[in-house]
Amino acid sequence: MGEAPGVAVTAEGWSWQHAERETPAIAGLDLQISAGEKVLLAGASGAGKSTLLHGLAGVLHDEDAQAAGQLLLDGVPAEQARGRAGLMQQDPESQVVLSRIGDDVAFAAENLAVPRAEIWGRVDRALEAVGLGGFGLEHPSAKLSGGQKQRLALAGILAMRPGLLLLDEPTANLDPAGVRQVRDAVLRSAELTGATVIVVEHRLEIWAEHMDTLVVLGTGAGVRRRSPAAQIRTDEALGDELSSMGLWVPGRDPLRGLSIPRSAGADREDPPPEPLCPEPQGELLLHAGGLAVGRHSPTTRWRRGAIAPPTLTGVEVEIRRGETLGITGANGAGKSTLLLTLAGLLPAHGGTLTATAGLKGDGPGELLAADPHDWRSADLVARIGMVFQEPEHQFVRGSVAEELALGAEQAKVPGTAEPLYTPAEIDARVQRLLDRLGLRALAQANPFTLSGGEKRRLSVGTVLAAGPELLLLDEPTFGQDAHTFRELISLLQDHVDAGGTVLAVTHDAAFLRGLQARELKLQRGTPPPEAPAAGELFGGMRADSWLGRRNALAKLIAVFLITAALVVTIDVVSAGVVVLASLAALPLAGIRAAGLLRLMWPFALGAVVAAWGTALAAEESGAVLVDLGFTTISEGSLALGLALGARAFAIVLPSVIIFSTTDPTDLADSLAQQLRLPARFVLGALAAMRLLGLLAEHWTTLGHARRARGVGAHGGVRQRLRSTLSQAFGLLVQAIRMATRLAVTMESRGFGAGRRTWARPARFHAADVPVILGGALIGAAAVCAAVAAGTWNFVWS
Amino acid sequence: MSSRKTTTRSWSWTVSDIVVASVLAVASGVIFWGWNLSYHLIGNLFVFYPPVETLVHGMWLFPAVLGALVIRKPGAAIYCEMVAAAVSALLGSQWGLTVLSSGFMQGLGAELVFLAVLYRRFSLEFATLAGAASGLTGGITYHWIVPMYAYAPLETIIHISCFALSGAVIAGVLPWLATRGLAASSVLGPLASRRAHREPMLLGGTPRG
Repeated sequence: MGEAPGVAVTAEGWSWQHAERETPAIAGLDLQISAGEKVLLAGASGAGKSTLLHGLAGVLHDEDAQAAGQLLLDGVPAEQARGRAGLMQQDPESQVVLSRIGDDVAFAAENLAVPRAEIWGRVDRALEAVGLGGFGLEHPSAKLSGGQKQRLALAGILAMRPGLLLLDEPTANLDPAGVRQVRDAVLRSAELTGATVIVVEHRLEIWAEHMDTLVVLGTGAGVRRRSPAAQIRTDEALGDELSSMGLWVPGRDPLRGLSIPRSAGADREDPPPEPLCPEPQGELLLHAGGLAVGRHSPTTRWRRGAIAPPTLTGVEVEIRRGETLGITGANGAGKSTLLLTLAGLLPAHGGTLTATAGLKGDGPGELLAADPHDWRSADLVARIGMVFQEPEHQFVRGSVAEELALGAEQAKVPGTAEPLYTPAEIDARVQRLLDRLGLRALAQANPFTLSGGEKRRLSVGTVLAAGPELLLLDEPTFGQDAHTFRELISLLQDHVDAGGTVLAVTHDAAFLRGLQARELKLQRGTPPPEAPAAGELFGGMRADSWLGRRNALAKLIAVFLITAALVVTIDVVSAGVVVLASLAALPLAGIRAAGLLRLMWPFALGAVVAAWGTALAAEESGAVLVDLGFTTISEGSLALGLALGARAFAIVLPSVIIFSTTDPTDLADSLAQQLRLPARFVLGALAAMRLLGLLAEHWTTLGHARRARGVGAHGGVRQRLRSTLSQAFGLLVQAIRMATRLAVTMESRGFGAGRRTWARPARFHAADVPVILGGALIGAAAVCAAVAAGTWNFVWS
Repeated sequence: MSSRKTTTRSWSWTVSDIVVASVLAVASGVIFWGWNLSYHLIGNLFVFYPPVETLVHGMWLFPAVLGALVIRKPGAAIYCEMVAAAVSALLGSQWGLTVLSSGFMQGLGAELVFLAVLYRRFSLEFATLAGAASGLTGGITYHWIVPMYAYAPLETIIHISCFALSGAVIAGVLPWLATRGLAASSVLGPLASRRAHREPMLLGGTPRG
């Protein structure tokens, strides 16, 4: 695809100040980048790097912001150069728009109104270019790893044929293998297309040797420095400057000068000859014997289907006082699940997990059960602290100071409701932590408004506040700059020096070296667990069945006709006809009787409740069967109740059958193309729908985090309600964050303006006629049968 | 000062508005689902007098008011409630396809309140009113428009009143608090509601900070 030459970038006195901010994100930027130049863009956190990339991608527009100067792509203002620049952001989840990889790559081309005949050729070549050509176009994007998702995003960008690739920390959330794959795919694509490249990255060594130019931005200012990228390795002064900004400079240890007695070997990039860590000698705290762990509870059935098998089995771990242990292993090996189980947040699927007296403590501590999962969260916080990968999952209070106090306030003496710490002790702990974390000036700030590094420090601080012996962390260094990395190591080292114990799941070799951690490498046993894809919540699509292959709108019309027939009358006969007809149609949907039972039992129960409600609350008629004093059940109301219950069940059955055989993407295609609903809204809803599984996962994690903070959904109604509301608020925060990033992704791929084409036509075929006719026939039969049987009972009469 | 800005703000939806509204609606679907899992027993409380069951049904209405408060554009209440309804239809809803009509009508109730003030007022009393209106139109739909109940007159009135009351609290006050919380967390950057936490609580009150 050589016909898209690189774009020349010009910034002339460009400034941007976000609404509600007191200082500009970037001011007076003058910059020239030639066509095809590869630029590494660096600067401290908050130097406006992302703002610049968003500006170049043409997605910065806010009527309340203050802007000056110009950003030009080949002389055209960036906002008007739709499709010339493609933007990749850090979080892989918000870089994917649609559920099937072919559709996702086609999305940008559709938005730019590329003719349908041309789109699929572009899609094939783009997938080939990023090394995802081996997957079919129908492959679910939810089943890709983080690195693969980023490459998919790159393919989506390439399908626009852009002249400028903008990469905003594209590899910060990836494991080392993913980092290399994404970088190589970017470099290959740049070579193939001749596109200009601008990369923002904290870890310079990934890109340094492949780039032409280094541009350093000053905070709230313009370009502070511009040098050949090769100087990063050779120029000592430059290296010092970059280090001071919190960047990872090749060949420099961010821990240099930190007083860690044991880190003598950690000066260079290359690892020391190999583990110097002797078997630890401290007292045993926690012992896992033949432990089996899984994400879903082993006792409650995941709504549709058998009990989920454990992710990982036969784990043997001994955690001893004063040690640092790193759990490593491939993606999907079950590291995080193991960590949550060790933290007492997930129940074990098998084997034993035993906390010793050393962890439980003397006196009242002896009352505690062996397995931490059986402890109250008030006992957990004072013994095992869990730091989540996403700090925001842990935040439940309105200010930094309250957030720090919470854990200490919640800690109780085992077996009692007595607080573990006095108010004076709590205050002392909070004050000490505010100083230690460098957050004193921010004590009254809202935790969600902190910078990434501050949030990371606070998330560790909130856990330390309750004084747990054992500290567990999930990928604590993901996406962090070198300053935060250094702070984190120093905090954890303090914890260990004070006799504490640290266990972390990590991909980060520098982290393991920095703490001289013993490494526990997990082998991948069973197939990797995926994020519960939307399909799993939908009970699994049966897209292969006869009904599954029919046009979505035809199916919707059929259900609509049947539902309409049921709505107009309340009687048992019409409901019975629909239920029988639906059962007869089951083979067409590929649903078996057992499967149906699993799908339908909650609704059968609902029908019984509806029947009961009406029997009690409808007008009395005929003989009174039961007199409850304040109300009665009469012959008439019971008959009406039964009819309503049967009707409720009959209304649900066809819609469950149809929706379990209809892919949301097909439905959206039909709604926008055939029913002509506004495409922006249909596609917006569809893209959001893809996040359903991910949001459900956030919900679960937020629940774990609340238990870990000592405010889980347990105990009285008030506590449960508070916890659920806080969980719901946490979910809304995550939802809006995700949505904001997704909106940038979609807009940077040309979404939302002008005419678009559709890569996959949605239209009726001959085979869809029987679907609509079938629906009409069932509806008509239901009405006729009711009239003939004399049970017809028109609702609006 | 901020009110002048609000009035000049365009009524057309940006990409951010569309995507945030959609994701909020889907997240609401997840909250329904989480609520269902944890509180499936709560319905049993009403087994002896079913007309008051709607006291907790305000839960199903909160996407409408939340969407309107966060997005502040015409149609936000209806759109969010409809998408949330569509999500629950896809997940398998008690009411089958009829959730779309009830979703539309519930959204309409809240929408009319904000339309009446031309999308310029988003203080607590309007949020509460919108939640109650949503319960009212929802109740009317259940009994007269797409009837799913056949209660005696007194029970019908109790059923609808409890729905409106529940809507006012669960779908009015709570979304208003949530919106302020979200604004204070500075996640509403690209949206018209980003200053919600600095606005007066009631119409005519003084703005904070």
